[in-house]
Amino acid sequence: MFSFSSRSARIAAFFAIAVALLIVLFPFVWVFLESIKPASFGGKPDVWLFPPTSDNWNNVLLQSDVPANILNSFVVAFSTVAIALLVGCPAAYAFSRFRGYQGARYSILAAEMMPPAILILPFFLVLYHLQMIDSLAGVIAAHLSFVVPVVTWFLIGFFDEVPRDLENQAMVDGYTRFQAFYKVILPAVRPGIGAAGVFGFVLSWNDLFYALLLTGGESRTLPVAIAGYWTFRGVDMGKMAVAILIAVIPVLILSFFIQKHLVRGIGGGAVKY
Amino acid sequence: MQLKHRLVLPLALVLSAVMLYPVAFSFWISLHDYRLTRLDDVRWVGFENYKFIATDPGFLNAMGNTITFVIGAVTLELILGLGLAILLQRLVRFQNFIRSTLLAPMFITPIAVGLMFRFLLNSELGVISHYLGEIGITVDWFGPQLALFSIILIDVWQWTPFMVLMFLAGLESLPKSPFEAARIDGASAWLTFRCVTLPMLRPVITVAIIIRALDAFKVFEYVFAITRGGPGDATETIMYYIYQAGFRFFRMGEAAAAAFMLIAVILVLVIALVKATKSSTAGRNNV
Amino acid sequence: MSYVSLQSITKKFGDVEILKGVDLEIEHHQFTVLLGPSGCGKSTTLRLVAGLEPVSGGKIFIDERDVTDLEPRERDIAMVFQNYALYPTMTVEQNMSFGLKAQNMPASDIRTAVHNAAELLGITPLLARKPGELSGGQQQRVAIGRAIVRQPKLFLFDEPLSNLDAKLRVETRSEILSLHQRLGATTIYVTHDQEEAMTMADKIVIMNQGQIEQQGTPEDVFFRPVSRMVAGFIGSPVMNFFNGVGTANGAIETQVGTFEGFPQIRAGQKVEVGVRPDDLIPAEKGETTITGKVLLSELLGVRAIIHLKTQHGLAFKAVVDHEIYRDMKSADEASFTVRDGRLHVFDSESGKRI
Repeated sequence: MFSFSSRSARIAAFFAIAVALLIVLFPFVWVFLESIKPASFGGKPDVWLFPPTSDNWNNVLLQSDVPANILNSFVVAFSTVAIALLVGCPAAYAFSRFRGYQGARYSILAAEMMPPAILILPFFLVLYHLQMIDSLAGVIAAHLSFVVPVVTWFLIGFFDEVPRDLENQAMVDGYTRFQAFYKVILPAVRPGIGAAGVFGFVLSWNDLFYALLLTGGESRTLPVAIAGYWTFRGVDMGKMAVAILIAVIPVLILSFFIQKHLVRGIGGGAVKY
Repeated sequence: MQLKHRLVLPLALVLSAVMLYPVAFSFWISLHDYRLTRLDDVRWVGFENYKFIATDPGFLNAMGNTITFVIGAVTLELILGLGLAILLQRLVRFQNFIRSTLLAPMFITPIAVGLMFRFLLNSELGVISHYLGEIGITVDWFGPQLALFSIILIDVWQWTPFMVLMFLAGLESLPKSPFEAARIDGASAWLTFRCVTLPMLRPVITVAIIIRALDAFKVFEYVFAITRGGPGDATETIMYYIYQAGFRFFRMGEAAAAAFMLIAVILVLVIALVKATKSSTAGRNNV
Repeated sequence: MSYVSLQSITKKFGDVEILKGVDLEIEHHQFTVLLGPSGCGKSTTLRLVAGLEPVSGGKIFIDERDVTDLEPRERDIAMVFQNYALYPTMTVEQNMSFGLKAQNMPASDIRTAVHNAAELLGITPLLARKPGELSGGQQQRVAIGRAIVRQPKLFLFDEPLSNLDAKLRVETRSEILSLHQRLGATTIYVTHDQEEAMTMADKIVIMNQGQIEQQGTPEDVFFRPVSRMVAGFIGSPVMNFFNGVGTANGAIETQVGTFEGFPQIRAGQKVEVGVRPDDLIPAEKGETTITGKVLLSELLGVRAIIHLKTQHGLAFKAVVDHEIYRDMKSADEASFTVRDGRLHVFDSESGKRI
C-alpha cells in the first residue's frame, strides 16, 4: 500500500502508520467503552468485556444540565461565527483588493496571535461592572476577539485567489463595485466562506479559557461542563466520557468537510502552495 | 466615505470593541495596583508591577516551563509531522480515510484531551499505566520529574496532526520535475529528502513552526485539567500563572503586567524566527 | 470628433508615470490594435478606456460623450480579459446573460439575444455548462460571446489570445476578424504579438514608455517606421542596423559601404541605417554591396535565414529564397545589395526617421 521501492521500507512504513493510527484511535475507543461501562466495573482498567449499559448516556442526556450546555455552546459558536462572517467578508475583500491595506492585513494576523491572557482581565471587569458575568452575550463578545481575526485572515486568502478581472468584468457588464462584490465575488468564494465559518465555529465551540471565567450556572458551555465532571471530590468517569463524546463528535464530522480548505485558510495567502 | 473604507468599517468597530479597547484597558490595569478585592482603592504604581513580575521566582519559573514546553512540543511535532506527512504522501490505498483519522485530534476541545489523558495515564486507574505495570514498568507520569514532559506528549498527540496537514499540502504542491531529476542523477532517498524536499518545503515549515509556537505559548487547558500547575510548580505555565494571579489571588495589576511580558517574549521569538528564515522564504511569500 | 477620442491622457501610480500624454482618435467600425513591449502602457490605456482605473489627467470621449469620470458600467463597453474572467459559479448561459440583466432587459429578450450570439459562435451545446467544464478555446468563445451579446458601443480586448496554443490562436484570430467584419463593431485590441497586430488591425498604435510612438495602417508602420524603436520592434527577423556618418554630398558612410542619395543629411551627422533582412537581395557585380562571412543558415521552407558577419565583425541577417540558400550555405562569403527605396535612416541621437 506504499509506493516505496524496497520491501523493507514498505514494511517499516506500514508499521509506522499502524502505530500512529493506534495512538490516535485508542483514546477515542477507550472513551467510548468507558461511556457504556456499567458503574460496577469502574476503576478496573483491564476489563474489556462487560455488558454494555446506556445508563451514562441516559443520565447525561436526560437528567443533567448537559443538553442546556450544548445549547449554550451552539448559541455562542453560531452567533460568534455569524457576526464574524458579516463583518469579516467585506473587510477581507477590501484587504484583498484595495491599495494601502498591507498594514491592516498584518494587524489581522497580529490580532489572531493575541494571547487571551491580555484580554480576559478587561472582559471580566467590564462584564462584571455591567453585571453580565454569567451571560452568553459576554462569552460571545470574548469569542469575537479570536474568531473575527481568524475568519477574516482565512477569507483574505480565499479572496486573493479570485482573479481581479472577475469584478472588472462585472463592472464592465454594468454593475457597481459593491454589486460585483456580492453578485460575483461572494458566490465565487462560497466554499472558502463555508470553511472559514466551520473553522471559526470549531474554535468557539472548543474554547475553555474565556467560557470558564465568564460563565457560570445557567450560561456554562460544554467545555466548562466537561471540566466540571472532575472535581476535587472525585470523578464520574462514565458521565464525563459521554460529555466528551458529545463535544467531540459534531466537531469531527464538521472538520471532515473543511480539511481540504483548511491549509489555504491557515496560510491566509502568506504561503503559496 | 469611500467604498473601501465602508467595507472595513464594521470590522474596525468590532475589533476596536473586543481587541483595541481591552488591550488598552489591560495596559492601564498593568500600571495600577488593581485588586478585585479592593476595587474602590485602585492606585497608580507606574511600572512597579513589571518590576515585581520580572523578579518574581514564580513568574520566571512559569516562563521557563512555558519555553521548555514550547520548544519540546514544537520540535517533536515538527519531526513526527514531517515523517508522517511523507509516509501519508506515499500511501496508495486508504489515503483519505487514514489521513482524516490521523488529523482528528486537532479538532477536539483541548479540555477533553487533557481529561482523557489524565485518566489514561492515571497511576492507579489508567489503562496505559496498568499495562506498563504488567510488564514491570512503573511510570509516574504526573510526578515531579515527568509531569511537564507528559504535558508535552499530550500536546504532541493533539497538534502533530496540524503539522501533518501543513506538510502534506506542501509536499503535494511541490513540482515533480526536481524529484525526477534527482532519480535520474541516482540520488539516494535520504539525499533527495535532504537536498531537494527539505529546501523546497522550508517556507511551509517556517509558517507551521510560527503558528504552532504562538499557539503553544497559550497552553492552559492541559494544565488546568490535569496538574493545576503541580506537583509544586513543575507544570505552572504562563497562562496558568496569569489565571492564578488574576482570578485566584485577584491581583489584576500583576496579571496584566505578566500578560504584557508574555507578549514581549513572543514578539522577540517571532522576530528571531522570521529573521532566521527570511532569506529562504522571501522568494515565495506573496505579500 | 472621432468615435473614440483620448485627449492628453496621463496616468500615474504614486510617483511612477505610466502614461505621459496619450492622444488617440479612433473611427467608428475601426479595428485598432495597441502594440508594444511589456510595460509600455498599452494595457493601462485599455483599462483607462474601460474605466477600471481613473485617469490622472486628460479626457476620454466615446461617441461624443465625455466618459472620463464615469463608472465602467455607465460607458456602454464590453471587454474580453486575458484570462477570460468567466464567473465560475454561473453556467455559460448565465454568464452571457449577466450583463443584459444589469440593463434590466426582459428575460425573454435576454434569452433570444444569448441564443443568437451562441449560435453565431457555435457554442449553443455549451450553454448549460459551467466554465470549469470547458476547454481554454471554449472559454475564449464564451468570453467573446458575452461581449457581443451586449451590442456595446465599444469592444475592448486585453491580450485575449495569449493563453491559447499556437494553432488555436491562429484560428481564433481569424474568427475574431470575421466577427468584426460581420458586426462592424468598433474595437480596441491590446497585444504584444506583432503578427497578431499586423494581420488584424485597421490601425496599429505602437506604444513605447507611456507614449504613442507611431500610429497608422500595418503598411505604414512596416514600410515607413517613424523611429528606430518602431523599426526594430516590427518585423521578423529583426531589421539590421549599421552605424554611419553623413557626408557633405548627401551620402552616408558606414562600415559596410557608402549609401548615396540622402540630400537632407548634414555632414558629420551620426545616423543609423536600417535594412530588413527581406530587403537584402543577392548582389550583381558593380553594385554597392554588403558582404559578409556566412556563419549559419536556417531553412524555414520556401525561404531561409542566412546569418552573416562583416569583415568588421558586424552581425547581420538576410532572408533568401531556397534556391539561393542552397548556393549560399556552402559558400564562404555572400554579397547583398539593398532593394530600391528600402533603406531606412534614423538620426542616432533622436532616433527619428530622416
